[in-house]
Amino acid sequence: MRKAIAVLFLGFIGYYLLSTFLLVPFGVVRVLEGVGLKYLQDGLQQTGAANLVTSIVVNYRGFDTLGEVTVLFLAATGMGALLYSKRPTERARQNASIIVKTGARILFPLIIILGAYVFIHGHLTPGGGFQGGAIIASGFLLMFMSYRTYHVNHVILSRVESSAGSVFVIIGLLGLAYGSSFLANILPLGTVNTLFSAGVIPLIYVAVGFKVGAELTALLDTMLQTVK
Amino acid sequence: MVDILSYLGYTLTSFGVLFLLFGALGILRMPDVYNRMQAGTKATTLGAVGTIMGVGLINPEWFFKTLIISLFILLSNPISSHALARGSYRSGIKMWQKKDIDAYEKAVQESEENEEAA
Repeated sequence: MRKAIAVLFLGFIGYYLLSTFLLVPFGVVRVLEGVGLKYLQDGLQQTGAANLVTSIVVNYRGFDTLGEVTVLFLAATGMGALLYSKRPTERARQNASIIVKTGARILFPLIIILGAYVFIHGHLTPGGGFQGGAIIASGFLLMFMSYRTYHVNHVILSRVESSAGSVFVIIGLLGLAYGSSFLANILPLGTVNTLFSAGVIPLIYVAVGFKVGAELTALLDTMLQTVK
Repeated sequence: MVDILSYLGYTLTSFGVLFLLFGALGILRMPDVYNRMQAGTKATTLGAVGTIMGVGLINPEWFFKTLIISLFILLSNPISSHALARGSYRSGIKMWQKKDIDAYEKAVQESEENEEAA
Protein backbone atom coordinates (compact mmCIF):
# COMPACT_ATOMS: atom_id res chain seq x y z
CA MET A 1 0.00 0.00 0.00
CA ARG A 2 2.76 2.43 0.95
CA LYS A 3 4.73 1.46 -2.14
CA ALA A 4 1.70 2.11 -4.34
CA ILE A 5 1.23 5.54 -2.76
CA ALA A 6 4.93 6.30 -3.23
CA VAL A 7 4.80 5.32 -6.90
CA LEU A 8 1.67 7.41 -7.42
CA PHE A 9 3.29 10.37 -5.70
CA LEU A 10 6.47 10.07 -7.78
CA GLY A 11 4.42 9.82 -10.95
CA PHE A 12 2.48 12.94 -9.95
CA ILE A 13 5.70 14.91 -9.29
CA GLY A 14 7.33 13.56 -12.45
CA TYR A 15 4.36 14.51 -14.62
CA TYR A 16 4.32 18.11 -13.44
CA LEU A 17 8.14 18.47 -13.61
CA LEU A 18 8.13 17.11 -17.15
CA SER A 19 5.26 19.32 -18.27
CA THR A 20 7.07 22.35 -16.83
CA PHE A 21 10.35 21.55 -18.51
CA LEU A 22 8.66 20.80 -21.84
CA LEU A 23 7.48 24.41 -21.90
CA VAL A 24 11.13 25.59 -21.96
CA PRO A 25 12.36 25.65 -25.57
CA PHE A 26 15.29 23.25 -25.91
CA GLY A 27 18.50 24.27 -27.65
CA VAL A 28 17.41 27.85 -28.33
CA VAL A 29 20.02 30.54 -27.64
CA ARG A 30 18.35 32.71 -25.03
CA VAL A 31 21.39 34.78 -24.01
CA LEU A 32 21.09 37.29 -26.82
CA GLU A 33 17.89 38.90 -25.60
CA GLY A 34 16.72 40.94 -22.65
CA VAL A 35 19.00 41.73 -19.74
CA GLY A 36 21.77 39.30 -20.80
CA LEU A 37 22.30 41.14 -24.07
CA LYS A 38 22.34 44.46 -22.19
CA TYR A 39 25.14 43.22 -19.91
CA LEU A 40 27.11 41.83 -22.86
CA GLN A 41 26.88 45.08 -24.81
CA ASP A 42 27.35 47.69 -22.10
CA GLY A 43 29.18 45.80 -19.36
CA LEU A 44 32.70 46.42 -20.58
CA GLN A 45 32.24 50.17 -21.11
CA GLN A 46 30.35 50.71 -17.87
CA THR A 47 32.49 48.68 -15.47
CA GLY A 48 35.85 48.19 -17.24
CA ALA A 49 36.10 44.58 -16.00
CA ALA A 50 37.31 42.03 -18.55
CA ASN A 51 35.54 39.25 -16.61
CA LEU A 52 31.87 39.98 -17.20
CA VAL A 53 30.71 37.61 -14.45
CA THR A 54 32.68 39.61 -11.90
CA SER A 55 31.28 42.88 -13.22
CA ILE A 56 27.76 41.53 -12.63
CA VAL A 57 28.51 40.02 -9.21
CA VAL A 58 30.41 42.98 -7.76
CA ASN A 59 29.16 45.98 -9.72
CA TYR A 60 25.59 45.53 -10.99
CA ARG A 61 24.59 43.27 -8.09
CA GLY A 62 27.13 44.44 -5.52
CA PHE A 63 24.49 44.92 -2.84
CA ASP A 64 23.40 41.31 -3.30
CA THR A 65 27.03 40.20 -2.86
CA LEU A 66 27.22 42.18 0.38
CA GLY A 67 24.17 40.21 1.52
CA GLU A 68 25.86 36.92 0.56
CA VAL A 69 28.97 37.84 2.54
CA THR A 70 26.74 38.62 5.52
CA VAL A 71 24.97 35.25 5.18
CA LEU A 72 28.35 33.49 5.19
CA PHE A 73 29.41 35.49 8.24
CA LEU A 74 26.21 34.57 10.09
CA ALA A 75 26.64 30.89 9.17
CA ALA A 76 30.23 30.89 10.46
CA THR A 77 29.18 32.64 13.67
CA GLY A 78 26.32 30.23 14.27
CA MET A 79 28.58 27.24 13.64
CA GLY A 80 31.17 28.61 16.06
CA ALA A 81 28.49 29.19 18.70
CA LEU A 82 27.13 25.64 18.30
CA LEU A 83 30.48 23.88 18.32
CA TYR A 84 32.21 25.95 20.98
CA SER A 85 33.65 23.93 23.84
CA LYS A 86 35.76 25.18 26.71
CA ARG A 87 38.06 22.24 27.16
CA PRO A 88 40.56 21.72 24.33
CA THR A 89 39.84 18.52 22.45
CA GLU A 90 42.13 16.27 20.49
CA ARG A 91 41.98 16.63 16.75
CA ALA A 92 43.13 13.25 15.45
CA ARG A 93 44.29 10.05 17.05
CA GLN A 94 47.16 9.29 14.71
CA ASN A 95 49.93 11.41 13.28
CA ALA A 96 50.15 11.84 9.54
CA SER A 97 53.12 10.13 7.92
CA ILE A 98 56.37 11.98 7.23
CA ILE A 99 55.59 12.04 3.49
CA VAL A 100 52.31 13.88 4.03
CA LYS A 101 53.92 16.30 6.50
CA THR A 102 56.77 17.24 4.17
CA GLY A 103 54.45 17.49 1.18
CA ALA A 104 52.04 19.71 3.09
CA ARG A 105 54.90 22.04 4.08
CA ILE A 106 55.92 22.37 0.41
CA LEU A 107 52.39 22.71 -0.98
CA PHE A 108 50.95 25.10 1.64
CA PRO A 109 52.66 28.33 0.39
CA LEU A 110 51.89 27.41 -3.22
CA ILE A 111 48.19 26.98 -2.41
CA ILE A 112 48.10 30.32 -0.57
CA ILE A 113 49.75 32.05 -3.56
CA LEU A 114 47.20 30.45 -5.91
CA GLY A 115 44.32 31.65 -3.73
CA ALA A 116 45.72 35.20 -3.60
CA TYR A 117 46.22 35.15 -7.39
CA VAL A 118 42.63 34.04 -7.94
CA PHE A 119 41.09 36.84 -5.87
CA ILE A 120 43.49 39.60 -7.00
CA HIS A 121 42.79 38.77 -10.67
CA GLY A 122 39.04 38.35 -10.11
CA HIS A 123 38.19 41.14 -12.57
CA LEU A 124 40.44 39.68 -15.32
CA THR A 125 40.23 35.88 -15.18
CA PRO A 126 37.62 33.36 -13.98
CA GLY A 127 37.40 33.30 -10.21
CA GLY A 128 37.18 35.93 -7.55
CA GLY A 129 36.94 36.59 -3.84
CA PHE A 130 34.80 33.61 -2.89
CA GLN A 131 36.82 31.11 -4.94
CA GLY A 132 40.18 32.50 -3.80
CA GLY A 133 39.07 32.46 -0.16
CA ALA A 134 37.94 28.84 -0.50
CA ILE A 135 41.34 27.88 -2.00
CA ILE A 136 43.16 29.56 0.90
CA ALA A 137 40.96 27.74 3.42
CA SER A 138 41.72 24.43 1.67
CA GLY A 139 45.44 25.15 2.12
CA PHE A 140 44.86 25.60 5.84
CA LEU A 141 42.79 22.39 5.88
CA LEU A 142 45.82 20.55 4.46
CA MET A 143 47.93 21.86 7.33
CA PHE A 144 45.27 20.97 9.93
CA MET A 145 45.10 17.41 8.65
CA SER A 146 48.87 16.96 8.43
CA TYR A 147 49.90 18.45 11.77
CA ARG A 148 47.92 17.58 14.88
CA THR A 149 49.24 20.59 16.78
CA TYR A 150 48.84 23.18 14.01
CA HIS A 151 46.43 25.84 15.20
CA VAL A 152 45.36 29.21 13.91
CA ASN A 153 44.94 32.31 16.04
CA HIS A 154 41.21 32.97 16.12
CA VAL A 155 41.65 36.54 17.39
CA ILE A 156 43.70 37.51 14.33
CA LEU A 157 41.28 35.67 12.04
CA SER A 158 38.23 37.43 13.43
CA ARG A 159 40.02 40.81 13.16
CA VAL A 160 40.91 40.13 9.51
CA GLU A 161 37.33 39.06 8.89
CA SER A 162 35.69 42.10 10.47
CA SER A 163 38.09 44.62 8.93
CA ALA A 164 37.59 43.07 5.46
CA GLY A 165 33.82 43.26 5.92
CA SER A 166 34.16 46.89 7.04
CA VAL A 167 36.27 47.69 3.94
CA PHE A 168 33.43 46.40 1.75
CA VAL A 169 30.84 48.57 3.52
CA ILE A 170 33.15 51.63 3.61
CA ILE A 171 33.76 51.37 -0.16
CA GLY A 172 30.00 51.24 -0.60
CA LEU A 173 29.48 54.30 1.61
CA LEU A 174 32.23 56.20 -0.25
CA GLY A 175 30.30 55.47 -3.43
CA LEU A 176 27.23 56.95 -1.77
CA ALA A 177 29.17 60.07 -0.67
CA TYR A 178 31.16 60.83 -3.83
CA GLY A 179 29.23 58.94 -6.51
CA SER A 180 25.66 58.36 -7.41
CA SER A 181 24.60 55.45 -5.20
CA PHE A 182 25.71 52.85 -2.66
CA LEU A 183 28.68 50.85 -4.07
CA ALA A 184 28.94 53.19 -7.08
CA ASN A 185 32.32 53.29 -8.79
CA ILE A 186 34.41 56.28 -7.63
CA LEU A 187 37.81 55.34 -9.12
CA PRO A 188 38.98 55.74 -12.74
CA LEU A 189 38.25 52.68 -14.87
CA GLY A 190 41.76 52.45 -16.35
CA THR A 191 42.80 50.30 -19.30
CA VAL A 192 40.73 47.15 -19.79
CA ASN A 193 42.53 43.86 -19.09
CA THR A 194 45.27 45.31 -16.89
CA LEU A 195 45.66 44.67 -13.17
CA PHE A 196 44.79 48.23 -12.12
CA SER A 197 41.48 48.57 -13.92
CA ALA A 198 37.74 48.31 -13.32
CA GLY A 199 37.62 50.90 -10.52
CA VAL A 200 36.60 49.55 -7.11
CA ILE A 201 35.92 45.95 -8.25
CA PRO A 202 39.45 44.59 -7.41
CA LEU A 203 39.41 46.34 -4.00
CA ILE A 204 36.06 44.78 -3.11
CA TYR A 205 37.14 41.35 -4.32
CA VAL A 206 40.41 41.46 -2.33
CA ALA A 207 38.36 42.31 0.77
CA VAL A 208 35.91 39.48 0.01
CA GLY A 209 38.84 37.08 -0.52
CA PHE A 210 40.36 37.91 2.87
CA LYS A 211 36.97 37.66 4.55
CA VAL A 212 35.94 34.33 3.04
CA GLY A 213 39.40 32.82 3.60
CA ALA A 214 39.48 33.84 7.27
CA GLU A 215 35.88 32.72 7.87
CA LEU A 216 36.27 29.29 6.30
CA THR A 217 39.63 28.70 8.02
CA ALA A 218 38.16 29.50 11.44
CA LEU A 219 35.16 27.31 10.66
CA LEU A 220 37.35 24.34 9.66
CA ASP A 221 39.50 24.68 12.77
CA THR A 222 36.43 24.75 15.03
CA MET A 223 34.86 21.75 13.30
CA LEU A 224 38.01 19.63 13.37
CA GLN A 225 38.65 20.36 17.03
CA THR A 226 35.30 19.23 18.24
CA VAL A 227 35.17 16.03 16.20
CA LYS A 228 36.41 13.17 18.36
CA MET B 1 61.08 23.37 -35.79
CA VAL B 2 57.54 24.26 -34.78
CA ASP B 3 56.25 21.23 -36.69
CA ILE B 4 58.57 18.88 -34.84
CA LEU B 5 57.47 20.36 -31.54
CA SER B 6 53.78 19.95 -32.34
CA TYR B 7 54.29 16.35 -33.55
CA LEU B 8 56.11 15.62 -30.30
CA GLY B 9 53.24 17.27 -28.45
CA TYR B 10 50.57 15.19 -30.20
CA THR B 11 52.57 12.00 -29.51
CA LEU B 12 52.91 12.89 -25.83
CA THR B 13 49.20 13.76 -25.56
CA SER B 14 48.16 10.45 -27.17
CA PHE B 15 50.51 8.64 -24.78
CA GLY B 16 48.90 10.43 -21.83
CA VAL B 17 45.36 9.71 -23.04
CA LEU B 18 46.27 6.03 -23.38
CA PHE B 19 47.45 5.94 -19.77
CA LEU B 20 44.31 7.74 -18.58
CA LEU B 21 42.29 5.03 -20.36
CA PHE B 22 44.36 2.33 -18.61
CA GLY B 23 43.73 4.03 -15.29
CA ALA B 24 39.97 4.07 -15.90
CA LEU B 25 40.02 0.38 -16.92
CA GLY B 26 42.04 -0.42 -13.79
CA ILE B 27 39.53 1.28 -11.51
CA LEU B 28 36.76 -0.82 -13.07
CA ARG B 29 38.65 -4.11 -13.17
CA MET B 30 41.04 -4.35 -10.18
CA PRO B 31 40.02 -6.60 -7.27
CA ASP B 32 40.59 -4.56 -4.09
CA VAL B 33 40.97 -1.01 -2.77
CA TYR B 34 44.75 -0.89 -2.95
CA ASN B 35 44.98 -2.21 -6.50
CA ARG B 36 42.27 0.17 -7.66
CA MET B 37 44.06 3.00 -5.91
CA GLN B 38 47.32 2.38 -7.70
CA ALA B 39 45.48 2.17 -11.03
CA GLY B 40 43.61 5.38 -10.29
CA THR B 41 46.65 7.37 -9.14
CA LYS B 42 49.85 6.06 -10.76
CA ALA B 43 48.38 5.69 -14.24
CA THR B 44 46.51 8.97 -14.06
CA THR B 45 49.58 10.85 -12.82
CA LEU B 46 51.52 9.80 -15.90
CA GLY B 47 48.44 10.33 -18.10
CA ALA B 48 47.68 13.82 -16.81
CA VAL B 49 51.32 14.93 -16.96
CA GLY B 50 51.66 13.54 -20.50
CA THR B 51 48.47 15.21 -21.71
CA ILE B 52 49.25 18.58 -20.14
CA MET B 53 52.90 18.67 -21.24
CA GLY B 54 51.81 17.63 -24.74
CA VAL B 55 49.48 20.63 -24.87
CA GLY B 56 52.42 22.76 -23.70
CA LEU B 57 54.52 21.49 -26.61
CA ILE B 58 51.74 22.10 -29.15
CA ASN B 59 51.41 25.70 -27.91
CA PRO B 60 54.97 26.64 -26.87
CA GLU B 61 53.84 29.94 -25.30
CA TRP B 62 51.96 27.90 -22.64
CA PHE B 63 54.96 25.68 -21.91
CA PHE B 64 55.95 27.35 -18.64
CA LYS B 65 52.39 27.25 -17.28
CA THR B 66 51.96 23.59 -18.17
CA LEU B 67 55.32 22.84 -16.52
CA ILE B 68 54.06 24.40 -13.27
CA ILE B 69 50.77 22.48 -13.46
CA SER B 70 52.64 19.21 -14.08
CA LEU B 71 54.96 19.85 -11.13
CA PHE B 72 51.93 20.48 -8.93
CA ILE B 73 50.32 17.20 -10.07
CA LEU B 74 53.60 15.33 -9.58
CA LEU B 75 53.77 16.67 -6.01
CA SER B 76 50.17 16.39 -4.92
CA ASN B 77 48.90 13.20 -6.60
CA PRO B 78 51.41 10.69 -5.08
CA ILE B 79 51.17 12.35 -1.65
CA SER B 80 47.39 12.20 -1.57
CA SER B 81 47.28 8.62 -2.81
CA HIS B 82 49.83 7.66 -0.17
CA ALA B 83 47.70 9.29 2.54
CA LEU B 84 44.56 7.54 1.26
CA ALA B 85 46.23 4.13 1.09
CA ARG B 86 47.78 4.51 4.55
CA GLY B 87 44.46 5.66 5.97
CA SER B 88 42.56 2.73 4.50
CA TYR B 89 45.23 0.27 5.72
CA ARG B 90 45.12 1.69 9.24
CA SER B 91 41.34 1.63 9.35
CA GLY B 92 41.50 -2.09 8.64
CA ILE B 93 40.37 -2.53 5.04
CA LYS B 94 41.32 -6.05 3.98
CA MET B 95 43.56 -6.85 1.05
CA TRP B 96 42.61 -9.17 -1.78
CA GLN B 97 42.48 -12.83 -0.68
CA LYS B 98 45.02 -13.98 -3.28
CA LYS B 99 47.72 -11.55 -2.09
CA ASP B 100 51.26 -12.89 -1.88
CA ILE B 101 52.92 -10.57 0.58
CA ASP B 102 52.01 -7.73 2.93
CA ALA B 103 55.25 -5.76 3.11
CA TYR B 104 53.74 -2.87 5.03
CA GLU B 105 52.63 -5.10 7.92
CA LYS B 106 56.21 -6.43 8.23
CA ALA B 107 57.62 -2.91 8.16
CA VAL B 108 55.22 -1.75 10.88
CA GLN B 109 56.13 -4.78 13.06
CA GLU B 110 59.86 -4.20 12.58
CA SER B 111 59.63 -0.53 13.48
CA GLU B 112 57.64 -1.41 16.61
CA GLU B 113 60.25 -4.01 17.59
CA ASN B 114 63.00 -1.46 17.07
CA GLU B 115 61.16 0.99 19.29
CA GLU B 116 60.79 -1.64 22.00
CA ALA B 117 64.50 -2.53 21.78
CA ALA B 118 65.54 1.10 21.99
